[in-house]
Amino acid sequence: MIKNYTLATNITRFFVYLILVILLLLTIIPVWLLIVNATRSTIEIQQGISMMPSVYTITNYKVLLSKGLDLPRGFLNSFSIAILTTIVTVYFSMLTAYGIVAYNFKGKKFLYSFILILVMIPMQLSIIGFYQYMVKIGLDDSYAALILPSIASATSVFFCKQYLESIMIQDLIDAGRIDGCSELGIFHQIMMPIAAPGAFTLGIFAFVGAWNNFFNAFILITSRDKYTLPMLVQTLRGDVYRHEYGAIYLGLAASVVPIIIIYFLFSRYIVNGISMGAVKE
Amino acid sequence: MVRSKINHNNTGYWFIAPFVIGFLVFGLYPVYNTIALSFTDTTLMKADSNFIAFKNFERLFADKTFLTAIKNTWTLWIMNFIPQIGIALLLSVWFTSNRLKIKGGGIWRMLFYLPNLLMPAAIAALFFSLFSFYGPVNQFLVRGGYIPEAVDFIRSPSVMRGLVVFIQWWMWFGQTTILIMAGMTSISLSLYEAAVMDGANTWKMFRYITAPLIKPVLVYVLVTSLVGGMQMFDIPMLLTDGRGSPANSILTNNILMYMKFRSSQGHIGAASSVGVVVFIMTSFVSLLIFYLLREKSDEKMAKGN
Repeated sequence: MIKNYTLATNITRFFVYLILVILLLLTIIPVWLLIVNATRSTIEIQQGISMMPSVYTITNYKVLLSKGLDLPRGFLNSFSIAILTTIVTVYFSMLTAYGIVAYNFKGKKFLYSFILILVMIPMQLSIIGFYQYMVKIGLDDSYAALILPSIASATSVFFCKQYLESIMIQDLIDAGRIDGCSELGIFHQIMMPIAAPGAFTLGIFAFVGAWNNFFNAFILITSRDKYTLPMLVQTLRGDVYRHEYGAIYLGLAASVVPIIIIYFLFSRYIVNGISMGAVKE
Repeated sequence: MVRSKINHNNTGYWFIAPFVIGFLVFGLYPVYNTIALSFTDTTLMKADSNFIAFKNFERLFADKTFLTAIKNTWTLWIMNFIPQIGIALLLSVWFTSNRLKIKGGGIWRMLFYLPNLLMPAAIAALFFSLFSFYGPVNQFLVRGGYIPEAVDFIRSPSVMRGLVVFIQWWMWFGQTTILIMAGMTSISLSLYEAAVMDGANTWKMFRYITAPLIKPVLVYVLVTSLVGGMQMFDIPMLLTDGRGSPANSILTNNILMYMKFRSSQGHIGAASSVGVVVFIMTSFVSLLIFYLLREKSDEKMAKGN
């Protein structure tokens, strides 16, 4: 009886590992092919599939530049937008969440339920109106239109509120007041340092989200020199790059490799951050 | 312990003021503006515009392309959501099983989640390259002798639809697994111990303990995935020519909205009406899900015990 049970468990375990390995290959192979092909010449790519990197990264890069794809520029544009969006999102979401957690003002419950409803509003319902409005006030084709809306990011406030509630220490705030700190000073000098891990987790998500954002930039940005990486990636499908496979893969790899590096450095924060907000502890 | 005598509570308003102002300016007004535009014939090419009441909506519902877009978006979402939640449930049960003791749960999860963080625009372009006529998939199939000659996948509606479904699934099953696992690990072990004493098997424990207790997480996953799925854009847009080709097979709501927006006249009134209809549809279905899957009072009592 016991022996049968162990045997059955072992058979199940074998199949479980088999499926896990298949899923792993499905997950990794497309990404690996992308990175490897970025290092291979177009001829090599046409000759066949290989999982081993080659040495043509620089050549591919030169092809990209010669076709007028300003990769460094796109990289810098995307990076500036992502870093500024991250700062704005983290600072203002923490500020708002702290206001909700630390003070008992009138209308607080209403405001919080309102924020929960805002999380549900899709960008489809605002983007066209947003675009026309930005044209009117002359902010279309500007990064401000991409960055400033993060002042009011409902999902991030929700995340910060959950986080601040779990780490809030009222005595520290009172001590700060006795020491003569201003209310904003307490937030900056006492709360923010304690909340740093949560702010960091939120920051990673904000950065990745802004880095990958295609739709908003695609609607709002029109000048070629302001194109972000996903917009440049979209141009890679054009006829100019026909049959320049190595260069195409390099352009794609440049937009995903930074995120892969961030992920492997901070996966602990990211994986823990995903379930925050969805599951009440 | 002497507490400060001053009442600080109203200071809270200063802290939330930037959010409220930011929301009014960048959130509420654009929503209002979109809804207002949907009742007008505004284009980007002429200065004046007229109030035309429900004309945009009438035209939309008379338009076969719009109905195709709605149908496609639903199909693409449901086809990826079912395997996504299925695999996620299986993986979560396996990873949390005391009997199987799967090694390296954290590492598997971490790797399965990776595609979710990658730029969708780049992923779509990647799969376009992989499946192009001279691409690696054709090379592999032809050289391996699995097919006699290369197939033009990009022009096949069913292959492209399948590919969008696959990419969406590929990007999201890891995230769903992490969420469901978080729900499962928050269930008290004593419940399972009691069930084992009562002679329950694995299936019964899943059916009567795990499933009811992870319902809130499932509802969360379902609704967020629905809201996201109805906005599907980057993948189907960049997988083919940006117009939902071949044969409108992967034309989604948002691609249609974008096409109206970028049409030669820039029909932003008509584009807004697409956004409004999709929003109403999404909210209605979300509320229906919340209503159908709400916690019934007897379940709440069972939880309390």
